Amino acid sequence: MTAPKRANHKKIKDKDFELIRAINSGQYDRFPDLVKRYEQKLYNFSLRMCRDPADAEDTVQETFLNVFKYLKDFRYEAKFKNWLYRIAASTCIKRRRKSKFAPERELSLDEFYHREESESPNQVPDWAMMPLDKLLSNELLDQINQAVFSLPEKYRLVIVLRDIEGFSTAETSQILNVSPANVKVRLHRARLFLRDKLKGYFKNE
Amino acid sequence: MSKDRHDHRHCLELFEKLSEYLDDELDEATRKDIEKHVKECVPCFVCLQTLKRTVDLCKQAGDRPIPEDFSRKLREVIYNLPKTPSA
Repeated sequence: MTAPKRANHKKIKDKDFELIRAINSGQYDRFPDLVKRYEQKLYNFSLRMCRDPADAEDTVQETFLNVFKYLKDFRYEAKFKNWLYRIAASTCIKRRRKSKFAPERELSLDEFYHREESESPNQVPDWAMMPLDKLLSNELLDQINQAVFSLPEKYRLVIVLRDIEGFSTAETSQILNVSPANVKVRLHRARLFLRDKLKGYFKNE
Repeated sequence: MSKDRHDHRHCLELFEKLSEYLDDELDEATRKDIEKHVKECVPCFVCLQTLKRTVDLCKQAGDRPIPEDFSRKLREVIYNLPKTPSA
C-alpha cells in the first residue's frame, strides 16, 4: 500500500512570515510594523500607477485596510510581498480613471520595428555606451519617470513590477493573474516604448 | 534590419526576443542565434545595446520618500482599526 501523496509545496523563505504569524495569532498591535515595512515601497508603486499623489495615498490606505482584513487568510504559500502587491495592483486597477495623459491603447511591435528599420543606426549611441554612473542625473531620472507615467496602464504595471520593483516574470504573472508569456510580451513593448523616449531625449539634449 | 546582409524576417524574429535575451529567459539555441546575429548585424546590435541601457536606467528610477503627513495619517488609521480584523 502506498502512502497518500503529499502536496509538494516548495518551502518558501520569507522574512515577513514571523511577523504575520504573530499578528495572526492575536498580536494585532504589531500590524503597524508590517505597514512601516512596506509603506514606502507601496507608496511609490501606487504613485507610478495612479500618477496623482492623492490617489496614490488613497490606494496605499485602501491596500493596507484590505491586508488587515484578509491577513488571516494568508496561506504562506508565496512571499507576503507578492500577495501584498497583488492586492495593491488590484486596488490600482479598480481605481483606474480614464487619463488624458495616457489613454489605454495597444503598443504595436511592428511600429517599433519599422521605426527602428527606417533609422537603421550604424553605431551605438554614447548614452548606451558610457558608464552608467556618468550618465545618471536627476534630470534623466525625471525623464525616465515621466516616460513610465506616459505608458498605457497594462504595460506600466508590468514594467514597474519587473524592472523597478524587481519581481520575476513568474511572480509578475501571479501578481497580475496573466500568463508569463503575456508578461514577456508587455514587458518587451514597454521597454521599447521607453527606449524610444530615451532616444528622443538624448537626441534633443 | 540590415537589408544587405541579412534575411529581414530573421531580424524581426529576433527583435521580438531581445528582452527575453536580456533577462536570460531563452533556450540555448535561440540565445546563441541572437549572439551570432548581432555580431553580424549592426542595427540589431545597436538595438540590443540601447534596449539593455534602457533596462539599466529603468532599474535606477528610484523612490520618493513617503510624505510625512500621509505616513502619520496612515498610522492613525491603522491604530484606530478594530482590535480584530473580523470585528
